[in-house]
This record gives sequence, C-alpha cells and structure tokens, in this order.
Amino acid sequence: MRTHGKMRRGLLLLAAVCLMLQLPMRVSANQATSYTYAADENGYWVRTQDAYLPDKTVTELGLSAPEDLFIDENNMLYIADTGNRRIVKYDIARGEVTAELTSDEFTAPRGVYVTEDGDIYVADSGTKAVLIFSADFRLKGKLGRPDAPIFADTNYEPKRVAVDGGGNVYLIGEGVYNGVIQLAKTGEFLGYFAVNDADLTFAQRLQQMIFTRAQLANLVDINPTVFTNVFVDRSGIVYTATSGTNKNGMKKHSTNGGNMFKSNVWSYDTLTDLYVDDSGLIYTCSAEGYINIYSKNGEEIFSFGSYVTTVDISGLFTTLPSIAVDRDGNIWSVDGSKGYLQSFKPTEYAQMVYTAMDLYEEGRYDEAMERWNQVLKLNQMSILAHNGVGKAYLHAEDYEASLEHFKVANNKDFYSQSFWEVRNKWLQKWLGPILIVAIVLLVLKKLIGILDGKRGRHLAAAKKQAADKAGSLPVLKDFIYALKTPRHPMDNYYEIRKYRQGSVLSATIIYALFFLDFMAFKTLKGFIYQNMKVEDMDIGSIVLGFFILLGLFIICNYLVTSINDGDGTFKQIYMIPAYGLMPAMISLLIVTAVSYVLTYNEAFLLTIVLIIGITWSVITIFLGLQTVHDYTFGETVKSILLTVVFMVIVAVIGIIISIMWDSLYSFLAAVGKEMIQNVL
Amino acid sequence: MSYKNGRRALRSLAALALAVSLGSVSINVRAYVPTNRDTKVAPEKAEYTPEEYSEYELLTETGTVRYYWREDRDILAIVDKQTGFCIKTGADLPFSGDIKDAVKALEKADASAAEILAAAESYPDDLNTTYVGIANSLITIEYYESDKIKYLSSASESGVESALSKVEDGKYCLDVHFTGIDVQIKVYLTLEEDSVDYHIPYGEMSGAGLSKLAAIDVTPFLGASGGRMNVMNPETLEWETVDNYRVPGYVLVPDGSGSLIRFVDNTSTFNSYVGDVYGRDYATETYYSFSYYDDVPVKEPVMPVFGIAHGDGQMAFAAWANQGAEYMEIIVNPDGTRGTTYTWAYPRFELNINYYQLYDEKGSGFFKQMDEIYQYDIDMTYAFLFGDGSDGTPAADYTGMARAYREYLIAAGELTPLEAKEGDIPIRLDFIMADSKSGIVGNTQVKVTTAKDVEDILNQVMAKGITNINSGLIGWQKKGESLSKPYKMSFSGAIGNKNEFKSLIEDFREKGVDISFSRDVITINKDMVNYYNTAVRCISNWYLSIDKEAILPENVPTSLFSYATPTKAASWIKTLADKTSDFSGSLTLAEMPHVLTSNWNRDGVVTSLTDAAALYRDTLEGVNGKQLLNLENPHSYLWKYTDRYLQIPVGSSQYVFETDSVPFLEMVLHGTMELYAPYANFSFYTQDSILRMIDYNISPSFILSREPSYKLADTFSANYYSTEYSLYEELIRQVYGTVNGVLSQVQGYEWTGRYVPENGVVINTYQRGSDVRYVIINYTENEVTYQGTAVAPESAAVAEYPEYSREGGVNNG
Repeated sequence: MRTHGKMRRGLLLLAAVCLMLQLPMRVSANQATSYTYAADENGYWVRTQDAYLPDKTVTELGLSAPEDLFIDENNMLYIADTGNRRIVKYDIARGEVTAELTSDEFTAPRGVYVTEDGDIYVADSGTKAVLIFSADFRLKGKLGRPDAPIFADTNYEPKRVAVDGGGNVYLIGEGVYNGVIQLAKTGEFLGYFAVNDADLTFAQRLQQMIFTRAQLANLVDINPTVFTNVFVDRSGIVYTATSGTNKNGMKKHSTNGGNMFKSNVWSYDTLTDLYVDDSGLIYTCSAEGYINIYSKNGEEIFSFGSYVTTVDISGLFTTLPSIAVDRDGNIWSVDGSKGYLQSFKPTEYAQMVYTAMDLYEEGRYDEAMERWNQVLKLNQMSILAHNGVGKAYLHAEDYEASLEHFKVANNKDFYSQSFWEVRNKWLQKWLGPILIVAIVLLVLKKLIGILDGKRGRHLAAAKKQAADKAGSLPVLKDFIYALKTPRHPMDNYYEIRKYRQGSVLSATIIYALFFLDFMAFKTLKGFIYQNMKVEDMDIGSIVLGFFILLGLFIICNYLVTSINDGDGTFKQIYMIPAYGLMPAMISLLIVTAVSYVLTYNEAFLLTIVLIIGITWSVITIFLGLQTVHDYTFGETVKSILLTVVFMVIVAVIGIIISIMWDSLYSFLAAVGKEMIQNVL
Repeated sequence: MSYKNGRRALRSLAALALAVSLGSVSINVRAYVPTNRDTKVAPEKAEYTPEEYSEYELLTETGTVRYYWREDRDILAIVDKQTGFCIKTGADLPFSGDIKDAVKALEKADASAAEILAAAESYPDDLNTTYVGIANSLITIEYYESDKIKYLSSASESGVESALSKVEDGKYCLDVHFTGIDVQIKVYLTLEEDSVDYHIPYGEMSGAGLSKLAAIDVTPFLGASGGRMNVMNPETLEWETVDNYRVPGYVLVPDGSGSLIRFVDNTSTFNSYVGDVYGRDYATETYYSFSYYDDVPVKEPVMPVFGIAHGDGQMAFAAWANQGAEYMEIIVNPDGTRGTTYTWAYPRFELNINYYQLYDEKGSGFFKQMDEIYQYDIDMTYAFLFGDGSDGTPAADYTGMARAYREYLIAAGELTPLEAKEGDIPIRLDFIMADSKSGIVGNTQVKVTTAKDVEDILNQVMAKGITNINSGLIGWQKKGESLSKPYKMSFSGAIGNKNEFKSLIEDFREKGVDISFSRDVITINKDMVNYYNTAVRCISNWYLSIDKEAILPENVPTSLFSYATPTKAASWIKTLADKTSDFSGSLTLAEMPHVLTSNWNRDGVVTSLTDAAALYRDTLEGVNGKQLLNLENPHSYLWKYTDRYLQIPVGSSQYVFETDSVPFLEMVLHGTMELYAPYANFSFYTQDSILRMIDYNISPSFILSREPSYKLADTFSANYYSTEYSLYEELIRQVYGTVNGVLSQVQGYEWTGRYVPENGVVINTYQRGSDVRYVIINYTENEVTYQGTAVAPESAAVAEYPEYSREGGVNNG
C-alpha cells in the first residue's frame, strides 16, 4: 500500500503532465464515479465493492472558495464560505440553507467548529482571531492574539479551529510550523499541543551533520510537513492532519499530545482535513480528491476518489479542502474551487463492514461473525471480512473453520495459531498409535537383524552387494560420492583433483536436482512459511538469477584462480560446488517438507536446519576450492573475495551493455526507418 | 410574455387541480431530496411573447409550422402555427461594435435623447464578436491555426459570405464561403412538416483551406437559454446590464440511459459536456496509449441524439444524425462555461484532429494534423415537438423526444417492435467459469464453475419457479476469457468438454432456457495473440495500448491491452458464430458492441469509423440469421441485430451540472428487444436499485459461479467480488420476484409516458389498445397515493385506471 501510494503519487504527476492521456473510457454499469480500494492480503490497494456512492450534488449555494465544513448534533452543515465572508448553515434533511452567519468582523472566515452547546467558533485568518458566536449568531467572544511572551514572534492567523469539552481551543495557524496552537477558554496561550517530528531522509540527515547553518538555511525544503487540520471528537480526543508526508499524516492524540497509533498509518501527503464520527471512524481527505476511511485503531478500511481536472463529475474534485460526516454516516464534501457541495452515501457493504468491526471490538464475536459473513456475501474477496470471520471462529475454538479464512486473508500469524491447535488435536488423537507403530517397526528391524545373523547374514550380504552394484553405475556412483563428500571434503576433492572421481555429467545432474529442490523450496512450502504467493513471484528472474549467479561464480573463479596459480581446471571448478551442495540440498528438502506441519512456534527448527545445511555446504565448497586449487586458507579466502569482486564487475558491465543496447537498438531502428522512408 | 392557447391552458389548469387532488401525501415524514440519479418534477411553464418577424422572410408553411429566414444573420425561425411558439436556430443578436460606435457618435454630436435611444439597440454583454457570430450562425466551423482551434461562423462579422437559395419547394441551400480561410461549404435544408433536415455533403466542400477544418458545428445556439444584454436606460441614457428571460427547460443528452441538464444560473465555471457518440476513437486520439485510473470511465453515448425542451410540454426538439454519427460529438456548455451565461448545446462533427506523431520508442515526436480531412456527409434531422402530447403527437419533453427518435428508427427499419407477449419477464443469469493467473510455469487456469455446475444451478433456479431464463457463459474456453484466443473452440476438461457443453445447452433449450457462449472479441493482449496485423494501429502508426494496471490486481499475467482491428474482430465473430451455431441458438458478445475504433497504417486509414460500423453491421446481419444476438450495451448501429440488450446503462455519468437521470434509452428501445440491467451483484441489489429496474422497465441480471469468487482474486476477473451461487440463491428470488411482480403486469404493453408528480415519485403509463395501466414507483420514505392506489414507502405498484389521464404520464404538460 505504501509503495502503491507512492506510485499513485507518481501517476498523479504523470497524469498532470499528459492530461490528454487521462481520457474517460468505456462504459461502466454502477453508480460510483471512482473506484473503491481496500488493502489486499499483501497490503496493496486493490479494487473492491463500492463503499460510497456520490449522492447529492448541491451547486446552487453560490459558494466562493469554501474551506471548511462542520456538522453539528442536529445534522446541520456549517460551511465556511471564505470567499463570500460568511458561514452558511445548511439543513441536510431538508436540502436547503436555513441561515447565514455574517459579521463585520469576518475578513477570511476559514475554519468553523460547533460545540455541543451550539456555540460556533470561526477561525478568521484575516481578522487574526477566533470569533465565537452563540447558536442564534450573536457574537459572544473573540480570541485575539495571545499575549504570552513565548508567543511573541509567532504568526497568529488561525485558519482551522476545534474545541474540546473543557473549552480549550485548538488552532491551526497560517505559517505556524511548531504545532497546534492550544488556547484556554480565556484565550490564554497554553502551548503547542502536538509537534510533528522532523522526518528526515538519509540525505537530509547527512546535510544536517555536515552543512553550515548558512548552507542549511539555503536548502529549499521541498516537502515540509505542516499541520493542515485539527479535529476534536465529542469524547475530547484530538486528531490532526499533516501534509507533506505519507507516514503518520493522520494522528490521534493522547492527552499529552503524543500519537496513539502504534504502527505507521499511511495517508496521502496532501491531507487537507479529517473528521471523526461518533463510532470513532476516521475520515480523511486529500487536496486532489481522495477520501480515506480508517478504523479507530488507524487500520485502513477504504479509499476512494480520483484526480481529474478535465471533467466535472460528482464525486471527483478540482480541489477538496474539507469533509464532514452527518448523523446518517453520509460524507459531505465541498469543491474548493468550484464551490459546490457533494455528499456520499455509504453502501450497504460499507455499513456492514463498520458494524461488524464495532461488534468485534465490543467482544460480541458471534454477532460480528454473522455480520462478517454478510460482508463476505457482498465481497468474497474482502480481507477485512475473512480476517473477521477467521478471528471469530478462533474465538469460538472452531480452529479448522478459521484456517481457510486466514489463508484467504494471508494472515499467517493467526493461521499459525489456529494450525497449532488443529495439529495439537491431531497429535493427541494419533500420537499413541504412531508411537506404537514406530516401536513395532523398530523391534521388527532388530528381530530381522538377529535372525539374519543366525542364518548366515544373507540379507546383510545382499544389501551390501546391491549397494556395491549401485556404486559401480557411472552416475549413481558419482551421486553417492557427492553424498559422501561433505563428510570427507579434503579427501574426496583430492580425488576429484586427481580426476579419479566425479564427472561433469554428474555435476550437471546434481545442479539440475539442486535447482528443482531450490524451486520447490521457493514455491512449495507450507502456507505459513511460503512468504510470497507463486502468483506474486517473478519466476523468470528467480530462474535466471539462479543460473547466472552459479555460472558467474564458476567462470569468475576460473578466471581469478588461473592467474593466481590455482591448479583447478575449468571442469574441476565446475564440479566443486556440485559436489558440496548435498547438505544444502537436503536441508532445503527437509525445510520444504516439514514446513507443512510446523507453526511459527517452531520456526527456529527450520532456521537451524537451514543454517546447518548451508554452512556445511559452504565449508565443503570452500575446502573443495582449497584442495583443488592447492591453496592455503588465506589464498582461498583471497581467491573467493576476488571472485566476488569480479562477479560484481561483470554484472555491472552486463547492466551497462543492456542499457546501451536499448539506445543502440533505437538508433539503428531510427536509421533503418529513415533509410526505408527516404533512401529506398 | 403570455401563453396563448387558451383551450390548452384551461386543460392544463384542470389537470393541475386534478393532480393536486389525486396526489395526496399523508404524513410527510421526511422530504425526499432528489439527486442527479432521479428525475425531478417537470420545469415550470415557459413564458412566451409572439414576434412580428419583420426582419424575416417567410420561406414556407406546412400544416404545423411556418419557416422564416433572416438573411443577414443566417437564422431560421420555426414557428408553431397553433401556439405561436417559436424556436430559432440562432440567438438573433446584433454585433455590439456598430451600435456602440453609432451611439458614441450621436453623443458626441449632441443628438437628442430620442435619436440616441433609437440607435441604442440592446447588445449582448457576455458575448464578444466571435461569439455573437457563433450564437447567430446556422453553422460554425472550427479550424486549426497551427495547433490552436479558431472559430468562424456562417454569421460572423467578417471573413464569411453566405447566401440562401431555393433548390426546390421546401428545399434550400445555404452556400457559405469562409473567405477568411478559403473554405466553401453547402448546407442543404429540407423543411418538412415539423422537422428540418440539414445535409452537408463532403463532395460539395471545397477551397484551399479545407484541410485546416477541425469540425463543423450545426446550429450551435438552437434552443439556447440565458444571456445578458446591455440595455440603454431611457432616463439616464446609460448602458445597463439586464439578464435575458431564463427559459425553464433542459437539454437532454444521451449520457448513459439519458440525462437532463436543466437551465440554471451557475455560480461556478464548469467544463463543457462532451458526449463523443459511439465513444472515443482510440486510434485517432492525440496519443496511442491510455491508462485506466481511479475514476470510473464516463458512460459514452450509444446513440447520436440529443434534444432541448422549453417549458413544461410546450416546445422541444429532438435532433439526431442520419449520417456522420461516428464523428459526432454532442457538446453542452452549461451556464458559466466558455465565458457566457448561456446554456447551449449542439452537435460537433469532427473533420481533422491534432495528434502526436512519434518517431522513436522514447516518445520523441511532434504534433500534427491529418493532411486530408475525414470524408463523410453530415446529415442531421431536427424534429420539433409542440404541446403536451394530448393531441397524440409526441409531447414536448424527453418522453416525446424518445418517441420521435423511436418512430424514426422504426420507420428506418433499425428497430422492429416485438410481438406483444404476456407473462413473466425474463432474467439473465451469466456464469463466470474460468480465468487465468500467473503460475510457476506460464499461466494457470482458475476454474470456478463447470458445465455441470451450470446445469445444477439453473435447475435449482428453475425449481424456484423462475423459468424465463437466458444465460451467457463467460470464460468457457481453456484458460478462460482473458488469455484464450477469441475465435477458438478450445475446451478444458476441468471446465467441461465439448460434449458436456453441447448436452448442457441442448437440455436447457428443451426447457426453454437459452444458454449462449459469451466472448469479448475485441480486447486483446500479447499473451493472447500476436499484435502484428491484429491490434489496432493508431494514426501515429503505433499499436494502441491500454494500461489497466490501476484497476487490476498487481500480480495478473499482464495489465497491457489493446483492441483488435475491426476486420479481425469481425472475422472472429464470424468464426465464433459458425462454430457455436452447432451448439447454441444465440451468441453473446461483450465489449465489442460498444467499442468503435478505426485502423491505420503508414499510408493512412485502413478502416475508417464508418467502414468499421458498416463491417460490424454486415457481420452481425450474417450471424443474426442463424443465432439470436445478446449484445453488451450496443451502439445504435447494431440495434437492428440486437435481440437482448445486456448491461443497459441506468443513470448517467453524473456530471455535476446534470440535474436528472431519465430512461430515455429504455423508452426508445422498449418492446423492440429485451433489456437487461447491469449485474445486481455489484452495488445494484438495494431496494432503490430494484425500483429503478421497475421504473426503467428492465430485467434483472446476475453473474454467478459455483465456487467462491475469491479464487479469482489473482486473475483478470478479480472485479467479480462476489458471484458464488449459494450466496445469491435468495437474492435472485427476491429481486426477480419484486421486479417481475410489477413488470409482468405490463408485459406486452406499450410504454407511452412517464410523469413525476412530486420528487421521488414516478408514474409510468403503459397502454395496450384502450387498456391503460400505471406503474407507480415510490422512491420516498413516505406512503403516497396516486390514481387511487396507495404505494408503500420504497416500493412500486400497478394501478389500473379506466381512462387515459395525463397525470398518468402520457405527457407532463
């Protein structure tokens, strides 16, 4: 999702550059004007059933550059109609303007907030004050510039305002980067409520370290993180919106101003407003026209909207400065440059998702499951719903049923938990019989050995004979030799060096087997350990990468060692890795097989097996190189390092050639076309 | 201004009283606030003062209208003889320059007030000289001056000479010489009983500047409303700005099912509505590559028709293209766009385009225009509608426009009314069978429904008493829809082999259920076919490229698509029809019926839009002889061969300035083919949607699968969020039950009117002989009573009323 966000941003720019490319295309049946996206199992935005449909478009209010919206307890929408220097009170239920708040004090009324008591707070950046009106539009008070000495140099141009139950006022001020200005009821400056941590890139950190103050002052901050809005819900929790960052642009603050969201919350980097409804759902909007909905814990639920400038369609905006949510859950928004209102109605699907989340949160798992199942009815691909149903099953201890849902939701942690329970049950049932069978088999084996010993060891002899016979078959012999090599690397590689053992054919077969083993490890592990779905893999590059790395190593090692007095021939170098691969190969095989029955609790077992297998192979190959080239330990290390350096060089050259080839190709193609058109 | 016809006025008043008495809203719990997806009550009556036409010459007179001509401004005035209502092809405005000069000169010469006032003709305040020319003109041309488009009108102040001459009785020719760029165009006007036909033959266009022509706009200000004049105050002798009378009324545009743009004074500036008839020709856009984005594509007009209505059942026109529809755009400039306070609408016929000619892969290139303009004749008919329809003629509103257009299509043989059939309405049940996702080696088939499953599901549905079913099978080929070749009968054992499909289709044919193979024969990708000689080449000679990354999952095999050339698509249809006709009595075509592109190569056009449309018509004519055709949202040139219209649009693209949605398309097509709603699975299952199906008289449709649709999550079909039959069993019964409960009662009836007595309530009138039935749809949260029938909140009911009543909806005058 995060990466996709960036990509979308990129797309935005691209779209802005070539507007002509952004053409409306073919017919669509539904009533939505933009697609709704939700997170897929990998956290990418993926299209989902519509969550909101554009509902009412109100063009006749004559708004001019409106900047802020607020909806009070009585479902009255207050619009800060900045350009017309008024606050418009719009009755949502009746669809008409009921009153207009005007005042001589208004210069640029940009923010509006209505308290539970009905007091209307208007932030006016022109008048440089917050004006307080009673419900009947009587001017009750004015919070001018605080006179605290600490505030002396600060700009005071309030543009957004929110008020908590205690009457404390939170202000976003034009040009104030320190944080949200917090004033007491009396207008006294209480301090900056929340402060955005400077989120520096590596380059910026470096600049901070080495640049002089003058140089730093000269740097143009291309993406300043700025508070753009503040909201206080009816329980007094303060939320803020910050633009200029994708990370934690939307914050829910604790009483001391800290961010209550533990993990990073993704948001658009042009956030202009946020709103919280009574159930705690958080709605944000971005300047280009995207609206996102988050759960009270900051989980992303839906995202919709689009960036379109050439057509005026309900639900798409030229600029989107503000949103508000009415008592029925409809989102109200306003187009900042065209001055019309647009509401969005939640679909049954969205409403069901919200109810299910609430029920789950309240611990009513059975009811939640019922709702989640209804959600699945409308969208069988909903990751939220599959997780919800899975968790509900988990709570109900129906572990088997939960597995399928966690699998679809790619929720490996919970899947692992459920699987542990399922396996536990299975073990409890079958452990006894399995142990008995194992003991019986062991006893049988022992008995056969004893009996065979008494009868002249015919069986043992036959076994040895079969093994010898197999050992004399050309390829099988080499294969058995490869199996033995890791146990006696020095001796066995010495034999290879002397051409007494090993063959290129066998090495090739071993590579092929190892490749199959590797691919199985990559693609066929049990669900818990298969970190990436096959569908998401770039199989081509895995295959190519495997062979290129191996080939490069062999070739580079040959080149490096041949100028460094290595004794190994190319054939031998080709064989060295093959004959050392067995431990890695076996460990991959074990891991792949065992991954089906292990949960995350036993992950360490797989790690140990892998470490042993790979380390063993690496040591074997190292010893192989040392033996075959007749190097000392130091020389071997040096040759391997050189090989790696050489591999890097070859790879870089390869990349350069491939880039140049494109240019060369297009140059030749252009010349060719020119010739065809003009010469022939 | 006064409304003249007394008899009619009386009748309207009486009717109004009746409406008020019949329409009683008992408890007004909550006002219904309509959205632009609803139809609001009709506009108010327009006021009208008759004119003298002293500046005009009477051209001819028919039983219905008088045609007047004003030579200096090139304006044709059409006057209803019965009511005196007049509509002019131009705004009839003077150029301001001469007036201002004259007044100034008089003022300087200390002329008397009377003299100054006499010279001070009111002139437009919000139109400059170019726009006054456009506003008056019969035709306006757009031409390129380097890359910029400029305007010249038949009534421009300079750079043009025009003269009207009589060709024969009722037929005239306006010869326009645009001397400014040296282009000569002849416009033939045929003045019929109550309609005017404009014919602009390509063969008679001439002049050195012809290749510069970008477009021809026909009567851009016909029916326009708005405007602001500078009027001299007789007392102060100062110029004052006065708004013109705002005509209550609307523009009808064929956006989706039909949409009204009412005349309102906007406070915001909007972009124009541009309805590209038959969609954009991707091959002749500025660039060769397109990307889907986060916004839902707009619905493009499937028919070359629009109209304007003034007042409530007073005066209207419907205009359609007889020729040149492929190049037609319907432009509406709501008040505030393009700097004027007028709302004006007109057809624009594109002749040349500005495009980016690339010369290498990196995107280097330059802008240019075609050396020669498109070669086609323009032919438009404007049918004028007067009155509320009580005299049996089409009413002067959108229902009348639909009727006029429908009658034209029937007369032209493009539509044929079906035999009236009673009984249950049909239902469409499509099946998604398989699609492909990326696999370890190549792509893997994902199957969600087998031929056997289709059989089981249909049997289960029939067991519930739903029998009038037809079905399309999507993704029946090996690897499913997106990666299999369109024309190949390749079966996969996992989905069903040839014999299984054959017996499935045959078994159900006996049960009266038509099952057809469905196929998109136009969307292609490189994993499916080689582009060489297959994909559309754009005018820049590059293959058309459509990027769907934004709307497809990240991991699908490919997100780059193109369209097959018209020739290939047509030949694939033929092959597919030949092969499937052994199996099925019908064929379902997706995408292709609403995609029309041209095809080009280095030497120029290979298949023009006109050729492509003709090719598709020929192809489908051949197929239609053997098989029924189920077409997805087909363009009007395919209606003749359409037996079932699938995915019919309901509502509009929701442009901000669109005020109403109306079932214009449905009213045009009703009773000439079966009409099916978009899939109810996706946001079209709510009570409101069900009511809309009843209101628009369309049958429900569903898309189903046996297995859960999340299996499709990594395929191209990932947008089928929910299709599993077990989840829809009940919904199918419920949706069909509700819609059929109402619409089966008017099956075989002719849909003759639609009336909105109050916001949120619609009354549709159906007639069969003398039998009149009303379907009352109540979208509100309150119970309403009309025609003596109480209709519960959010429901619909049928009322029978012995007599024809205008409130019933035949007209809303």
